[in-house]
Amino acid sequence: MTLSSFFKAELLTLFRRKQSIFNALIFFVMVVTLFPLGVDPSPDFLAPAAGGIIWCAIALAILMSVESLFKEDYNDGSLEQWLVSGHSVSVLVLLKVFAQWLMVVIPLVLALPFLSKMLFLASELIPVMLVSVLVGSPALFLIGAIGAALTVSLRGGAVLMLLLILPLYIPVIIFATGAVRAAQLEMPFTGQLAILGAISLLALAISPLMAAISIKASVS
Amino acid sequence: MNWTWFHKLGSPKWFFQWADRWGKVCFWFGTVLLIVGVIWGLGFAPQDYQQGNSFRIIYIHVPAAVLAQSCYLAMGIAGFVALVWQMKLAPVFIKAVAPVGAVMAFISLVSGAIWGKPTWGTWWVWDARLTSVLVLFLLYMGVIAIQNTLDDLQLADKAVAVISIVGVINLPIIKYSVEWWNTLHQPATFKLTEKPAMPVEMWLPLLFSALGLYLFAAGVSMWRMQNEVLVRERRANWVKEEVMKRGV
Amino acid sequence: MQAVTTLCVENLWLERGDRDLCRGLSFSLQGGQVARIIGENGAGKSSLLKYLVGTLSAVEGSVAFNGEDISAHRDVLIQDLLYIGHTPGVKSVFTVAENLKLYAPHSSNQELEYALTQVSLDAYWDTPAAQLSAGQKRRVALARLWLTQKPVWLLDEPFTALDVSGVEVLEQRIKDHVITGGIVVLTTHQPLHSLNPVTIELAS
Repeated sequence: MTLSSFFKAELLTLFRRKQSIFNALIFFVMVVTLFPLGVDPSPDFLAPAAGGIIWCAIALAILMSVESLFKEDYNDGSLEQWLVSGHSVSVLVLLKVFAQWLMVVIPLVLALPFLSKMLFLASELIPVMLVSVLVGSPALFLIGAIGAALTVSLRGGAVLMLLLILPLYIPVIIFATGAVRAAQLEMPFTGQLAILGAISLLALAISPLMAAISIKASVS
Repeated sequence: MNWTWFHKLGSPKWFFQWADRWGKVCFWFGTVLLIVGVIWGLGFAPQDYQQGNSFRIIYIHVPAAVLAQSCYLAMGIAGFVALVWQMKLAPVFIKAVAPVGAVMAFISLVSGAIWGKPTWGTWWVWDARLTSVLVLFLLYMGVIAIQNTLDDLQLADKAVAVISIVGVINLPIIKYSVEWWNTLHQPATFKLTEKPAMPVEMWLPLLFSALGLYLFAAGVSMWRMQNEVLVRERRANWVKEEVMKRGV
Repeated sequence: MQAVTTLCVENLWLERGDRDLCRGLSFSLQGGQVARIIGENGAGKSSLLKYLVGTLSAVEGSVAFNGEDISAHRDVLIQDLLYIGHTPGVKSVFTVAENLKLYAPHSSNQELEYALTQVSLDAYWDTPAAQLSAGQKRRVALARLWLTQKPVWLLDEPFTALDVSGVEVLEQRIKDHVITGGIVVLTTHQPLHSLNPVTIELAS
């Protein structure tokens, strides 16, 4: 197993399992739809709340898609093969998360302008929204990977994983919606985006290592 | 520097005997301090010039809140020790302390709500500090949940170590983000009164109750650790001797 | 000439929960030998393999590869190791060929075809692994044995779910491998016909 054959295999797996990516996308649309239905469909409520609604929905959708990140690999023995592949498990985790990020974030980003418009978000704010997703979502995937690795050996680990990981998503959601809101108020928003980037970088440094430790402990 | 104590801490037997002595000391000394501090604070300390008697809940609220944060910090450090030096006692520590910290966070939330009613006119506001304690409480719940769910002891130990470290790294970010978020949403109307320079009669009981609560929690945690050590080392000879000696 | 490959375990103490799987177990293998771990169900055969691979830690004991102590880090061994575990890492979303390509990316299509012919899966090149039976899945994993240059093989129950001819072919491959100086450690409940293994016994 080489790193490139591994990465290609990961992309191929995601491509063959495109239904699960599609599910995450539909889930995202679903959650967004609940807010006008459940709270208030008027633009007065939706326009200022749009950033928050979209980001909460994104966080949940990403968590759903990351939850079973290592499940199949655990069940079919691939994780065991990772450990004897001679590659650093952290690097393999990183490649896997990167592949997952690519395949999930691209459709999310494509759907984003439409949903933003449906929530009456002003057109000039949509680029800010997109950038916040691109900069902030890596952190969500990376942190989620830790939870997925910790609960991989559990049969029904999904709820536990949500309980573990959702509190850690709070800063990302705060700063991402903060950026959108600041842009709405015509205030500078680059600071929030920079902090989002910093959180993603921190997650990039720590999360593969922690996920690797968890995977090693889960496999034995 | 002499590191023998650090290596000795790695030995469950040595720890058990050490905790046997110091656990009692901490517990009783802490209880006395706590009682003195709380009675002094609730009964005898002067009233606050703005909040009247309602401020007195500070003597419970503040120690609990501070202790809840300290416990998580300690768990994070223990998690690091567990992963890097594989010290046997570090996961035992995390397991013993997590519920103590969770209870403290809970007390701090409840007392905060009780304090909020007369001060802010409502049980709950999304005050930055209250919110970050709420998140802290949720983090504790995560640690306890994963500890209880994973059957495999080695895996559970690794898992709580990992999640404690990740939590501790996140804690300042969460705190900072929540404070920043709060100031954006709500101007200072709901902030706690700016601390006036507290007179000695007011802060001394606070110091007493805080110190007392720390020692009390240390004592309780040591007992919990002792129990866990006995269970984990149940096959070791010294445990059998210990149990025989006490005639259980 | 290349030095003889050796794998030595000394004074090994493994436990699962409260139970000792082995205590004070020592054995030493060198190139040309097949070792068979025997023991009842739950005696710890797989655990011993996992210890050698490094995914399971021991209470006590050490392991050396080519004379070098690798108790702490298995890196040196892993370079020279092929391990097929109880669940052999065959991905059900991939076809048979894709599964092999993942683990042997440098092999040509002819080599892959040759390996698949050996395990009589040559007709299944493009079949998704999800449609294979348990025995066929195992054969996909075992096809790697015809594509590898690694000297040390650790095989967990390689004969399970194989038919008679499959067992024969596999035994022959193992024989060929040890003749060239390789080491094979395997666990199995089935009698071996043509192999003459060293026995490592795990008594419960």
